[in-house]
Amino acid sequence: MSYSKAKVEEILNNTISRRSFLKGLAASGVLSALPGGVLEANEDLNTKIPYSGEKSYQTFRNACPRNCYDTCSIKTYVKDGVMQFIEGATESTYTRGGCCVKGNSYVKRVYSARRLKYPMMQVGGKGSGTWKRISWDQAIDIIAKKLLEMKKEDGTLLGAALTKYSGNFGITHYGIEGMFNSIGYTTRLAGTPCWPAGIDAQNLDMGDMWCNDPEEMKDSKFIILWGVNPAANSIHSMKYIYEAKRKGAKVVVIDPIFTETASKSSQYVQIKTGTDGLLALGMAKIIIDAKLHDQKWLDANTKGYKEYKAYLDKEVKLDDVSNVTGIPLAMIKELALSFAKAKPATIWMGYGMQRHTNGGSMIRAIDALVAVSGNIGKYAGGARYGHLNTWGFNYAALSQAKPEGSVGYSGPEGAKGEFAQVGGEKAAYTDRFLNINKTARELMSAKEPKVRLLWVACKNVFAQDFDRNQLIRAFQQLDLVVVADQFFNETAKWADIVLPVTTQFEEYDVNVSYWHYWLSINEQAIKPLFEIKSDLEIAAMLSKRMNQLQAGSCTFPQSVDTKEMTIKEFNPAIYEQFGIQSWEELKKGPVKAKAVIPFADGKFKTPSGKFELYSDKAQELFGSALPKYLEVRQPYDKFRMTSPHSRWSLHSQFQNLEWMEDFHPEPFVYINPDDAEAKMVSSDDMVAVFNRQGVLRLRAKVTDNVQKGTVLMYEQHYHNSIYNVNELVDDTSSDMGAFKTGAPGVALHDTFVNFKKL
Amino acid sequence: MQKAFLVDGSICLGCNTCAMACKNQYHQDQGVTWRKVREIGAEDYLIDNNNILPTLTSYQKAPKVSMPMERFYFSLACNHCENPACVAICPVGAHTKDPETGICKHDQSICIGCGGCVKACPFGASKFNTKMGRAEKCSMCWERQEEGKTTACVQSCPVHAITIIDLHDPKYKALRSDPIGIDYAIDAETKPSTRFIHPFMPKEIYRQAKG
Repeated sequence: MSYSKAKVEEILNNTISRRSFLKGLAASGVLSALPGGVLEANEDLNTKIPYSGEKSYQTFRNACPRNCYDTCSIKTYVKDGVMQFIEGATESTYTRGGCCVKGNSYVKRVYSARRLKYPMMQVGGKGSGTWKRISWDQAIDIIAKKLLEMKKEDGTLLGAALTKYSGNFGITHYGIEGMFNSIGYTTRLAGTPCWPAGIDAQNLDMGDMWCNDPEEMKDSKFIILWGVNPAANSIHSMKYIYEAKRKGAKVVVIDPIFTETASKSSQYVQIKTGTDGLLALGMAKIIIDAKLHDQKWLDANTKGYKEYKAYLDKEVKLDDVSNVTGIPLAMIKELALSFAKAKPATIWMGYGMQRHTNGGSMIRAIDALVAVSGNIGKYAGGARYGHLNTWGFNYAALSQAKPEGSVGYSGPEGAKGEFAQVGGEKAAYTDRFLNINKTARELMSAKEPKVRLLWVACKNVFAQDFDRNQLIRAFQQLDLVVVADQFFNETAKWADIVLPVTTQFEEYDVNVSYWHYWLSINEQAIKPLFEIKSDLEIAAMLSKRMNQLQAGSCTFPQSVDTKEMTIKEFNPAIYEQFGIQSWEELKKGPVKAKAVIPFADGKFKTPSGKFELYSDKAQELFGSALPKYLEVRQPYDKFRMTSPHSRWSLHSQFQNLEWMEDFHPEPFVYINPDDAEAKMVSSDDMVAVFNRQGVLRLRAKVTDNVQKGTVLMYEQHYHNSIYNVNELVDDTSSDMGAFKTGAPGVALHDTFVNFKKL
Repeated sequence: MQKAFLVDGSICLGCNTCAMACKNQYHQDQGVTWRKVREIGAEDYLIDNNNILPTLTSYQKAPKVSMPMERFYFSLACNHCENPACVAICPVGAHTKDPETGICKHDQSICIGCGGCVKACPFGASKFNTKMGRAEKCSMCWERQEEGKTTACVQSCPVHAITIIDLHDPKYKALRSDPIGIDYAIDAETKPSTRFIHPFMPKEIYRQAKG
């Protein structure tokens, strides 16, 4: 085979000669022997790439940086500079040799013909679809000049806004915030649409969000999977749940939806959406009344048990619990008592449950139930939600000094993000923080100065943010929208400039999980394709150009190497926690943090140092010291719409890939048979689902996996479809989130719609 | 020895990791899948657009089963039959049955694209690649197995819902060869090797009362 590494590089580096080179290859028949369609511009190339033996590949360590519980440790097989295939690292007992359906599509993602390849400018204006390829120098020059012009006119850079979230959770990707730090005081879309109400709830109760190791679940005697669907969204956790079940543990799924996980449980309990908090309170009352609570633990470790019990005694009526949740009282009693009798027992709470107007209060009520049962601080126990216990990196890429003389916002401080809470000295100025969950509204209403430039990175605003029609208006009034992404998505369509960024296989990084306790290095396995650059390199180019135009205007390093930046993120505490001497040991495979049982020492980081059933902070911030039942948002249309995560995508990623279309080509709306019958809808009919926010047209599937009165559509972004479930979601806030993440969450699952057959 | 896939529908999550692991390893063209995670109760056998419908008379419709939509699955690829139709029909010997392992291998480099195997296979395991003008199918990762690794699909399954067994081992004798709820050539003369563990619903299920 006359195919060499040098030739691949020549092709990738020289796009003009590429076409003619390809033609030559095709004519000689060589093309069909090339792997992976890497050189084919339009579509996949051919078929079977034989496995050629372990020794014939170079291997690299990678990690999946997506916003996912599982954060897989990956081993990448490369031949002649081209990725051949990946596998889960076998060293990690959590990943155990396999990724998921999404991870297994990475080779296609890297070499997809749909990838962004060059910087592009939408010369016809936002949304026009008239694009022109531009050089990196041109793109960076336009952005740098705009920033300096704004700074001159406004006297500050607060007119420049950054929206970035979970597209890549690699630690060096905080260099994107670092880039904005390095130009001055700017505007940030702060908060998280994901899990903020629950973070606040756990922090109010325990002073931290800190879950037990999921691998311990294998030894749990009773597991309640409460509003969580690991069979679709954390598949690597299922083996521990199965093992517990095989050893005799009862696995109960409480969920409004008969999920994939429910279908593999011991018991499924369908609950009316948004009433979980009351069920938890009722169960706690039953346990206490039966004297099955852990009085000794409660006396020693909690604050406010008396007030909490008084509330249960006085306000929580078991008949009401049954009526409101829709679950027979006998079943609730049996569930509560068997949970209390099993030791250790654990509850895993999903993020969907807190995406309600009463979400935080529900998480608090379930935390309290676990506390009452005496399962906090116990091996294989715990009120599981997530953790950031292994995230103690340096955030070196993030921490950049402001240029001298920078002028910023002098309002009240509010700088927060759930991951990288780097302490800084009190300054005269701060950045300006807008609520990420009301992006459209906030971009339009920000004044003095108004937002003129928006930088979008690690985020697909139009897929993930709310009120699409308002978003279009907000984008249109901006002078310059820059979108750094891997694909030409809906957000890119409303940009002025798009910049192609690397996948994790084309750069260095380091990754940990917010669920398990493994640490993975992410090595650069291949050279970046086409003209693609990493977010850090883009920041460096911007810094270089800004400093050429105005010396001292940007403090970001003017040339970066992602490997060097990654090394800078490590510190002795990380090494100590993971029992390694150097980051280089990670090249041999991922490592796990030393085992710790959260709160086993009875030390909580709350003001009282105890588990706070009664929280003054909660009283101050959210008006209720106790985890009282709060009624969920009232319907404003005929049917509740829930929009959970599907197995096929991670937010707006993966579903757009060619390979994913082979298995899951189109979206569906799932409708209960009773509701479908009333509207004369059968499976496969086209229906319109609509409300005051917007309308979606898609095919129906009729199933009693969803309960009557509820329709379900997954949150997904397709390649050639305008389908976007968030088009129907307004930006109503959940109860909590502002305490620890800077802004409240969004009550996504308190969306109401109607539908009709088309 | 007859190597065979044992598919456990009682623990299969339907996550499709196995099917994508196959593409990750072999990079089949868009539209071509060697392994498919079939939903029990759904009639997707008939709408697999990559598949020219099986022509053998032993093909039969499965009895209807009542399982919830999109919850129970069997992951299926080539059945590595004891008496494979593809091997019998291939005019150039591109399909072979490994005498030692029983794996039905396909060598695409000598395939002439006549499509005989695609028509002859009662399970639609052989796929026709229209771009290449040749057939292709699962060869049970024999190259990986020769090196002591397991198949891509088995390695990546998060819950061991697919495993490889030796059908001639007496301890597997009692396993079922009929998948429920999926149209399948149950009594095919080819003697498919795949074995199944059937799924079941949770013992206790409570749904909200109607009205």
